[in-house]
Amino acid sequence: MQVIENLKVKEKVYIEKLENGLTIMIIPKKDIQKKYIIWGTKYGSNESTFVVPGETDPIEVPKGVAHFLEHKMFEQENGTNSLDVLTSLGVNANAYTTNDHTAYLFEGIDNFYEALDELMDYVQHPYFTDENVEKEKGIIGQEIMMYDDYPEWKVYLNALEAMYHEHPVKLDITGTIETISHIDKDVLYKCYNTFYNPSNMVMVACGDFLPEDLLEEIKKRLEKKEANGEIKRIYPEEPENIVKEKVEQKMQVSIPLYTIGIKVPPLEETQKVKTHLGVEILLDLIFGKSSELYKRLYNEGVIYGAPGCDFEFANGYAHILLTGQANDPEKVYEEFKKKVIEYKEKGINKEDFERIKRSIYGSFVKEYDDVADIARMFISDTFKGINSFDYLEEIDAINVEYVEQLLKNLFKEEKMVISIVKN
Amino acid sequence: MEDIKTQINDGIKLHTIRTSKFKTNLISMFFTTELNKENVTKNALISLLLRRGTKNIPSQDELSKKLENMYGAFFDCGLDKIGNNQVFKFYIETINDEYIPQSNEEMWKEAVNLLLEIALNPYTEQECFKEEYFEQEKKTLTQIIEGRKDNKAQYALNRCIEEMYKDEPFGLYKFGNIEDIEKIDNKQLYEYYKNLIKNCKIDIFVSGNIPDSKEIENLIKSNENACKLEGRQAKYNPVKIENRNRKDNQEKIVEESLEVTQGKLVLGLDINIEKEDEKYIAVVYNSILGGSANSKMFQNVREKAHLAYVASSSYLRHKNTIFINSGIEIANYEKALKIIKEQIKDMENGNFSDNDLKEAKKVITEGIKTVYDEQDSQITYCFGQEMNENEDVSLEQYMEKIEAVTKEDVIEIAKVIEVDTIYFLRD
Repeated sequence: MQVIENLKVKEKVYIEKLENGLTIMIIPKKDIQKKYIIWGTKYGSNESTFVVPGETDPIEVPKGVAHFLEHKMFEQENGTNSLDVLTSLGVNANAYTTNDHTAYLFEGIDNFYEALDELMDYVQHPYFTDENVEKEKGIIGQEIMMYDDYPEWKVYLNALEAMYHEHPVKLDITGTIETISHIDKDVLYKCYNTFYNPSNMVMVACGDFLPEDLLEEIKKRLEKKEANGEIKRIYPEEPENIVKEKVEQKMQVSIPLYTIGIKVPPLEETQKVKTHLGVEILLDLIFGKSSELYKRLYNEGVIYGAPGCDFEFANGYAHILLTGQANDPEKVYEEFKKKVIEYKEKGINKEDFERIKRSIYGSFVKEYDDVADIARMFISDTFKGINSFDYLEEIDAINVEYVEQLLKNLFKEEKMVISIVKN
Repeated sequence: MEDIKTQINDGIKLHTIRTSKFKTNLISMFFTTELNKENVTKNALISLLLRRGTKNIPSQDELSKKLENMYGAFFDCGLDKIGNNQVFKFYIETINDEYIPQSNEEMWKEAVNLLLEIALNPYTEQECFKEEYFEQEKKTLTQIIEGRKDNKAQYALNRCIEEMYKDEPFGLYKFGNIEDIEKIDNKQLYEYYKNLIKNCKIDIFVSGNIPDSKEIENLIKSNENACKLEGRQAKYNPVKIENRNRKDNQEKIVEESLEVTQGKLVLGLDINIEKEDEKYIAVVYNSILGGSANSKMFQNVREKAHLAYVASSSYLRHKNTIFINSGIEIANYEKALKIIKEQIKDMENGNFSDNDLKEAKKVITEGIKTVYDEQDSQITYCFGQEMNENEDVSLEQYMEKIEAVTKEDVIEIAKVIEVDTIYFLRD
């Protein structure tokens, strides 16, 4: 196995790429009782048009299939449900779907290998029938309705809709009650056979393991399956400009919610980590808890807390998001824009920069305590083509000039949007 | 995991948990005081004011800068309700010295001193909190209380608690109420704060890769803020089983309308037991009823009837109460309620298998074992024991007690469980 060590956090990752294309990553954690394993496929809500390997014409499937498939994977032909089986073994099992991947996982202390049997069995054996597919529509329908009541979710989705013309990232991961009504077992099998191939999958384990032993145990449980070749994913052409600058929705909330979005060009392969770090530093400098902007807006009673900042990127898109609550979101937006211009003109103070860099370094170190945090970080970074350790290393090389340049290149006024949810 | 307890003074205890498992050190301080209508809102306002600044670090941005310089130390001050107490919870989490590039600083010392400074030495002017901060934080508190309706599921649960404990301290919302905010006077509030820190129960937890408890004790005793704290007969309510003695055995049904797409149905259950050890049976009962994906709630309400995505129950140990939660289509209210009640009845009739019992215990013990791996859970567990007057149960003992629960025990307890309140949030 290939071993990569990081001396800053004193952790190692063992990596093996099997012949069938499956990537396995193991991060040993001594003295921790909890073991965590996650098996994911590079297939999320964004993949709705693609060419099945071996075929020539692209197919388009209803929105929400990846998530629907995730729900249905637990059902087994012998009538059992793998979630129940795993729960009976005393482990905590779950699954989730994002824009760019779907993953199945469990964590637990005892019965690890019994649970691994079940996990690897159910992910490799789908069982869809007309009846069990219909039944799931009711449960997912309730999940969709639950999200309808979350203003945080609406304000986020609306910001994406304001930024994107075509890219499917703007759509709800679950699909809608209408789109899922078109899902049947044939569509599910088609997507399963395309994307749940070892060459499109990654498994990450974190806990007190001997990497070589665990690797053998995993191999034993793998069905024989050939790598199926490249899946051509087709994303619609996305214009650089935004759709509209402002979008507002009425919902019962005590105080308006806002999301400020900045649409940026898709990232170059080698620049992802560096750009991500640079953007985080900039957002902290501009609107973090020690910033002049935060202090002023808090003192004026416009906001009650610092916004949550995110930088999201995957195939064919990247955007910056700031989300919070404010009595006057328009004012927050205007003041934020002014501050960006001010920083562009005056430059960044070296002392502030170093302090924020320190703080961000510390926050990355903290990511290495919990086995679940570690495994989830590695799997989602891997699907983005990133080795998580790179964040700890590349931060050293970031300097003021670099982030000043980034500010000019990415924080463009004509690419900004604001989404508001209020009464 | 060992919690080494050192009495700093009467009513003030240091808990040292030494471990090299984590990359962080976690320091926390808890002020425990009686929960009552008169003071609940004042306490909430104080918890917000203490974040604003101290004598030596007079503003929030300076405090933020200080934390950023400590490699992104995380600070928070929150409020909790534990039994009939209101608890101020101060936390600072820093990375271990071991992971600080070229450093010879002892970060844990800085963190302990900073936490004591924030909690005990607020920024004041003329025996008042700074007027500007006082006015701003009153607005923030108003916003927090009004914002309670934003998360509908959480709101429904809080409302059910409020209805169920209508005339008891536990029915109070932990951030108080809006009507009382305007009545608070700055000078009186500062007086009240000084009294609070004189009389509350104080627990300080220091966890991580740290020196032995003696050295920490010395640091605290020589800290200029902590050394002013005198011994006290702490005024708080130790957690113990209480018999609510409800006179009427009628279920209370409460319906409330808000703009929701999905209805939120919450049931509050009374458990009429008297012995501390019966709590472990209640934990098992809850696990079978709604504590996991194998539970009756999940299986019957979600998987069989397809009525909900969320269908679960949780046991509130320090109040000895179970809350059942579900998000359902509004038109399905009657149907869902009927199925939920059938589950409760089933428990009483012993309609669950030995295997259900075995699995429920496994879910609980696995949950308990994860406490070893989580720094904050370790502190929460130890503090829970600290609050419980009659016992100090180790994690191992806890698991043994769970293992000892029999099917008959669960059926017996099911017979003394009754629905107290049914709360439904609809459109």
